[in-house]
Amino acid sequence: MQGSLVDHTSLLLLGAGLTLWFWGSWPLLENRSYLSKLHALSVADTLGSALMLLGLLLRIPGQWPLLTLALLGLIVWNTIFGYVLAACSLPARDSTQAGEQR
Amino acid sequence: MRNLLPLLLSIGFRLALWCLLTSDLSWLNLLIGLVVALLLPRARSRPLPLRALLLATSRSLLAIPQAYGEALRLIFAPAVEEREASEPATDRALPLLVFLDVFRITLTPFTIVLGLEDDGRRYRIHSLMPASKQDGSRL
Repeated sequence: MQGSLVDHTSLLLLGAGLTLWFWGSWPLLENRSYLSKLHALSVADTLGSALMLLGLLLRIPGQWPLLTLALLGLIVWNTIFGYVLAACSLPARDSTQAGEQR
Repeated sequence: MRNLLPLLLSIGFRLALWCLLTSDLSWLNLLIGLVVALLLPRARSRPLPLRALLLATSRSLLAIPQAYGEALRLIFAPAVEEREASEPATDRALPLLVFLDVFRITLTPFTIVLGLEDDGRRYRIHSLMPASKQDGSRL
């Protein structure tokens, strides 16, 4: 009984992650501003993938060290990559440090 | 303590990653991990105020559940609007705190940091929020 509860929860998490993935990736095909696509992507990539990894964590608890590492790496990397993409989308500005380094 | 904190943090973080990667807690493996953590190059570190670090860390962790809340609000929003905003930045001399701030702000789907402005005193933020009722301009 407990096993099936874990199974169902994990399925639910995987499904929710997949839903967020589709919701966040769809705007890429639409005609929207670059930054608003990035906002949607942070929902898909970071939050959706994190839910999927949690689902996998319930499903394969034996692999928790690697899955935790993946979860950690995914959340930090995706978030910071989103910031880098957003910052690079702007024309170089004089007041920012990046502008000074050019 | 303040001077030692950056060193302890970076060594601890690397060792934790090593343990997760190898999933082996034997003494030999811990020793190898410690050597690797010490050998990897480190950025020049400055004394780190513990209280500010704990505050920034807890705010970053709290941002994770908050991000899911914002994601749901975005998904069910009938209309959204884009805006630019800014927020006072933490001391730029402490890169770890700036990193945590950027992480916290960018993690949530409503806001993305675009960079620093005003000579590094403020974060330039782009936000995408559910539109307020009176102006229902759809993007």
